[in-house]
Amino acid sequence: MTARRLDHGGRINRAHPLSFTFDGNTFRGYKGDTLASALMANNETVLGRSFKYHRPRGIMSAGVEESGAIVTVGRDASREPNVKAPMQELYEGLSAEGQNAWPNVRFDLGAINGLFSRFFAAGFYYKTFMGLPPFEWGHGTRLWMLYEKLIRKAAGMGSASREPDPDCYDHVHAFCDVLVVGSGPAGLTAALTAAEAGRDVILVEQDFELGGDTLSDPSREIERAQLVDALAKAGVRIMPRTTAFGLYDHGTAGLLERVTDHVADPADQLPRQRFWTVRSDATILATGALERSIAFDNNDRPGVMTAAAARSYLNRFGVLPGQKIVIATNNDSVHHTAVALASAGADVTLADIRKHGASDLPADIELREGVAPLKVHGRSGVEAVAFASASGNNWSAAGQTDCDLLLVSGGWSPVVNLSSHRGAKPAWNAELACFLPGLTNEPIYHAGSAAGIWEYEACKASGEWAATAALGEATAPPQPGGWSTPIKPLYEVRLPEAKTKAFVDFQHDVTGDDVRLAQQEGFVSVEHLKRYTTLGMATDQGKMGNVIGLALMADALGKDIPDAGTTRFRPPYTPVSIGALAGRNVGHHFKPLRRTPLHDWNLKHGATMTEAGPWHRPWYFAKTGEVIDEAYVREASTVRKTVGICDVSSLGKIAVQGPDAAEFLNRVYSNGFAKLPIGKARYGIMLRDDGFVMDDGTTWRLGETEFLMTTTTTNAGKVMVFMEELLQTRWPDLKVHVSSVSDEWAAVSVAGPKARATIAACLAEGEYISNEALPFMGVRKITLANGIPGLIARISFSGELAYELYVPAGHGAAMMDLLWPEAERQGGCLYGLEALGTLRIEKGHVTGAELDGRVTIDDAGLGKMASTKKPFIGSALRQRPDLLRHDRPQLVGIFPKNPGQTFKGGAILCADGEVSGFGEGWITGVTHSPMFGHWIGIGFISGGHTAWAGKTVIASDLTRSEDVEVEIVSPHMYDPEGVKMHG
Amino acid sequence: MVDRQSALAAHRRPQQTSFDGATGVSFSEVWAFSLVQIAAWPETLHSVGVTATKLAGCDAAPAPGRAVFEGTRTLMRVEPLKWWVLSEAPQDASSLPASEASQGAVLDLSHSRTWLRVSGDKAAPLLNHYLPINLSDRAFPVGSVATTAMHHIGVTLWRDEDAFNILLPRSLASSLFELFTESSSQYGYKFT
Repeated sequence: MTARRLDHGGRINRAHPLSFTFDGNTFRGYKGDTLASALMANNETVLGRSFKYHRPRGIMSAGVEESGAIVTVGRDASREPNVKAPMQELYEGLSAEGQNAWPNVRFDLGAINGLFSRFFAAGFYYKTFMGLPPFEWGHGTRLWMLYEKLIRKAAGMGSASREPDPDCYDHVHAFCDVLVVGSGPAGLTAALTAAEAGRDVILVEQDFELGGDTLSDPSREIERAQLVDALAKAGVRIMPRTTAFGLYDHGTAGLLERVTDHVADPADQLPRQRFWTVRSDATILATGALERSIAFDNNDRPGVMTAAAARSYLNRFGVLPGQKIVIATNNDSVHHTAVALASAGADVTLADIRKHGASDLPADIELREGVAPLKVHGRSGVEAVAFASASGNNWSAAGQTDCDLLLVSGGWSPVVNLSSHRGAKPAWNAELACFLPGLTNEPIYHAGSAAGIWEYEACKASGEWAATAALGEATAPPQPGGWSTPIKPLYEVRLPEAKTKAFVDFQHDVTGDDVRLAQQEGFVSVEHLKRYTTLGMATDQGKMGNVIGLALMADALGKDIPDAGTTRFRPPYTPVSIGALAGRNVGHHFKPLRRTPLHDWNLKHGATMTEAGPWHRPWYFAKTGEVIDEAYVREASTVRKTVGICDVSSLGKIAVQGPDAAEFLNRVYSNGFAKLPIGKARYGIMLRDDGFVMDDGTTWRLGETEFLMTTTTTNAGKVMVFMEELLQTRWPDLKVHVSSVSDEWAAVSVAGPKARATIAACLAEGEYISNEALPFMGVRKITLANGIPGLIARISFSGELAYELYVPAGHGAAMMDLLWPEAERQGGCLYGLEALGTLRIEKGHVTGAELDGRVTIDDAGLGKMASTKKPFIGSALRQRPDLLRHDRPQLVGIFPKNPGQTFKGGAILCADGEVSGFGEGWITGVTHSPMFGHWIGIGFISGGHTAWAGKTVIASDLTRSEDVEVEIVSPHMYDPEGVKMHG
Repeated sequence: MVDRQSALAAHRRPQQTSFDGATGVSFSEVWAFSLVQIAAWPETLHSVGVTATKLAGCDAAPAPGRAVFEGTRTLMRVEPLKWWVLSEAPQDASSLPASEASQGAVLDLSHSRTWLRVSGDKAAPLLNHYLPINLSDRAFPVGSVATTAMHHIGVTLWRDEDAFNILLPRSLASSLFELFTESSSQYGYKFT
């Protein structure tokens, strides 16, 4: 191929040169170029290496169907592999490189694979390496797992960056009356017709210019420009550089907009790509058609491309792609191409398998009728093409012609992918030798060559029809076709018994022989063919190879093409980057972060935060020089000795209101709530229907018909949803409203012997919280000294004298500004989750770590709470015999035999000398206990602590290879009588 | 009494960015407001609706998915049996309307939400980065209300004459606002 840039012509801006590099060499192109056109203009022929055989590959097309010029664009973290060069808009400084080659695409050591290509037929790897004797004789696929890594390393396409993606991506939702995909003459006409009828229209075009095929036809430029201008005036929302990659239920389309992929120095504010979800009332698919190749020997050599591509490079980009050109065709579509190339100075031969008997071609174009390409000569480029002529069912050689470019047109395949996504099975049209869009009941309409309409004016008319149909005015659709001489189906050219490399799927190196081999080996279903040969997989998704593959399979089976079947196209039509799928849901926005009302106050006062579900909560408040282990032990000790304040705002809070609120709670909780007095709180446990514990917490009765339920931080949402479900489905007769008020309140726990004194000093005049005024489990409204109203409950999680103070969230920081100085005066501290864990483990209180969905109320040692006098959720199924077994794992405390030793959460508990399997139990939480002066734990073990009294148990950490001797004790390790919290 | 603190306190400083010379999105926060939930039982829907209407000072209770405005007050039907009365002024809890349990339930939610107003040419496009709702004038005119979700967060959205209004759960407001501003940088934005 001896391509060159012409001095004139095309849509490029010669006044705006651009510099770019390919494989480290610097080249020049122009604004308006694609990477492919610019490389072609610089006569770069070998741009890639094939997937399996490492054969040299060059530009094969001018669009998304490209299977040769697949390159890597960008550097370092922005490196993007498998970019199709015809789709990459050129920009200043673009850096690209060939892929699947070493050291480079022009000289690739991997090409040695080609020498063994006869062994690399379809199924080679599986047949050769799976169960490879003698090593794997009878051993299954163990060694295959090793081979697979090596094979994958040797094959494949480009490699992505291993660095974090530096770009950002957006998700966007949009709505319209009519979505038009494609901006060829049919798409432009459809969009304009719908918009002028008053519809809200979005027009999507994957190219950076509107016009489709007319961009390669200078004679249509004025009309194209007028149409585009009219679209803007009609209010059509035009989205260039945007690919509709999938159609989904109810008129939903997935689009990928490439926002900055064409920009040398994109603004930081812009996303690289936008992932659009568009919902439309009707969809018009004017997606065009793709020109097919033909399978013949060496049909993948650089310098073999589709005929329409050459027309595009010539007329759109001002590049004459060859000097001595052969065009091989079986249809009418190449006529204009031949004329244009000849007019540009090329020596053109047209080889038409059909015999016309007469020709209206210019005299300087040589016409050879009745012949088709048999073989390309040349290795890294085209040097000559050998022809064959058909004689009966066989082919015979028919001479050869020297050339540097072979253009092939084996027919056209309408792009029916998107409607296929909706389950519309494409229908084979033997007259046009292509699949036409299948029938669908959805408001999806095809126009232009996507509907098999080849002629320009007919395409426009079909666009108008599609718009009219989308408006609900049904008329008969236009008929497909438009060529004056019928196409002669042609899929493969080969001499009988000849050994060839005739490619069907260029991207996966699938040949015609592979298809026949699959058939011989019994893979007669087209779906099996696809999987065995990988035909139509990967980024091509059957754009280039599907029809030829089906035709060869049908031929091998002795069937017609429609009888051989067709595979359904699946999204995406073209690849979608993972970044676009993720959008902004990455990094710290991977999930929404919940902050308590005291978040900023906590940070200001030295909190180190940790994640607790979706929340950020204070982990510990280290003093200068302290590490976490020192900080939490100090905090827990301080709570036991004086007072500590802990942010507990993240607890779930649910307002339960209504005349039947008490009855409702009585049914939800396993213990009684019907008679809970006003001004009292009660600890409650609720079960799931299956009898296992769902959640626990205290519920406060604020009035006759008003309760405030608290839940664990983790289960707040689950409990709320469950209660809504109960009220809506099981007990709709109950007059109860439940509303989440988790965010309404800022809440702190003030715990320790000095808790009462600390709070009392912060109350408004006349407020009292003496033992008489606020006894254990008492609740009341309160006003702080600074006028903030709130609630106070005397409840304890730490085992100390403790209160929970609730104030409206916006006053949380002000409450802390009042409480904290007083706590400091009392010698108190702020404490975080780590110390909270220490305090509750010492006390034997359960959390989500224990109530993990496998635990019954009896397992947790709280079975006596369950009422025997009333039914409640889970009351029946908790009585299942297996849940009542005495040897079930039950809550226990754990001490090390040697007080100097520690053990880890997650370790299993085993009988001494029997460390195996799942053991007898497990450890859910551990801490250093300041009260005991050694390590302690909480967990479960079969039969509970009485069954293991006096026995040595092994805490075995299998993943960290550590066995520690422990003893099992009561879970109520600290103040089991509850003297402290009742004090 | 002390002032109420906004969940967006860390962000509450005048901010303005532009892109291509434009500032397409304006954010503002109504940070001291009252939000009262008035819930009815099926048989008291009408009478409680009248109560809600009186509290809001409106002529009639709106249908589900609709809001009515009266001065600085907004009345929305957020669930089949629930209204929200929103006022751009904080309200003392003691001034909540009394309601017999047999009639319905009243709940103060004033501190549970962050009220963000989003306006400007690019307000709808910005919200559509996160909201699968058609926000065009035709599909979501003034007075429309949606209980929906953005970035997994349940929010209440309504449109008045000047802006889109969003009530965000207070604990998640900062996280979502950070996303808003990051997405808005491509349009230019200001926060007042």
